[in-house]
Amino acid sequence: MKQKIGVAIAGLIVGLVAVCLGVFGNPANMALCIACFIRDTAGALGLHQAEAVQYIRPEIIGIVLGAFIIGLLKKDHAPKGGSSPFTRFVLGICVMVGALIFLGCPLRMVLRMAGGDLNAVIGLVGFIGGILTGIVFLNRGFSLKRSYEQPASEGAGLPVVNLLLLVLVIAAPAFVLFSGSGPGSLHAPLLLSLAGGLIVGGAAQRSRLCFIGGVRDAVLFKDFHMLMPFAVILVTVLIGNLITGKFAVGFADQPIAHTEWIWNILGLYLVGFGSVLLGGCPLRQLVLAGSGNSDSGVTVWGFFVGAAICHNFGLASSGAGVTPNGRIAFAICAALVFLIAVFNTKKLSQKQGVSP
Amino acid sequence: MTYLATFHTHFGAMRFLKQCLKESISAKMMPVPRELSASCGVCVRLESVCAPSVPEHEDMERCYIMTSNGAYVPLGG
Repeated sequence: MKQKIGVAIAGLIVGLVAVCLGVFGNPANMALCIACFIRDTAGALGLHQAEAVQYIRPEIIGIVLGAFIIGLLKKDHAPKGGSSPFTRFVLGICVMVGALIFLGCPLRMVLRMAGGDLNAVIGLVGFIGGILTGIVFLNRGFSLKRSYEQPASEGAGLPVVNLLLLVLVIAAPAFVLFSGSGPGSLHAPLLLSLAGGLIVGGAAQRSRLCFIGGVRDAVLFKDFHMLMPFAVILVTVLIGNLITGKFAVGFADQPIAHTEWIWNILGLYLVGFGSVLLGGCPLRQLVLAGSGNSDSGVTVWGFFVGAAICHNFGLASSGAGVTPNGRIAFAICAALVFLIAVFNTKKLSQKQGVSP
Repeated sequence: MTYLATFHTHFGAMRFLKQCLKESISAKMMPVPRELSASCGVCVRLESVCAPSVPEHEDMERCYIMTSNGAYVPLGG
């Protein structure tokens, strides 16, 4: 019961932070999105040249550092890694491609649903389908092999990088690119965004909040408690949107969204499938990286590179819809994820004893 | 006695569970309790007269014995 209350409170916290950031300037239905915010940060660092989506998002910095700080305080910080890092890097790229075809990570999917965007409801079908596909492989023996204890420097890698990003967003030197218009130009005040990220990172670290884990536990173990944050975020943001007048039901004219339903399904299918193989959704990867998991740190770099590839090669969707290159990229990434799943699945029948 | 074994991988937990069931040991897989780990892995809870043999399972991270008040005490200190 204590655990159920804990995850419900974490969901409430994330929902309230999202409402708050939306009110204070973050883009509509995009108050918190791991994929979009990593994409914006990649753009600010010059990894891509899409002028409308360039800003070092303090929320990302806050989430990593929040998980790092709470992990140290609660003695949960455990540097470890070495579990197929390159494969995870590739999966990170593929997940980002899927997310930018749909236009959002699973967290943004929930925020879009709470804003009345029915395209996200359609996308949810693909997300669950992707998770179920991943679970089939888990049940057949999929594994990226175990991780090992690492030196403290490995576990501190991504938090240190995020401290440097914090310096850059505060100092704003000329070589850092900030959007003058478009979604990248819309943001809450820096300190508020950073505080929001720190709170979300801390809450997600303590509760193990994960959009993949919730469905996985429900399907595999009939344990539904990790689905609770999903519902609490949805309801909290829905109420917030109703109060602030930001709720509009429909498919057309939704903020930073397209109506190509098949690609909304396929994009999130790729996100769900890839994330199950990675062991967690993009938010969870950030939190794990902050908690010392260098495999998740490598995955986050995969997200950055994936975002850069998407905007440099015209793969990312826009309000106008999915691009031809995006469709080809989906096919390549889906094939890659499937092959990774197949080649990392081994038989469960290896003989070993249990009793001493 | 009730034991709880945590694993480095989902695969390791599944293989262990399969072997438990083959040896007619009552066991089930479940998410790792939050008090034992910040990770979101899976564990195997089993009823056995003696502790499972840890060295034979390279994927096993740790084994705990569950006390009557619901606490988990690690085996081997």
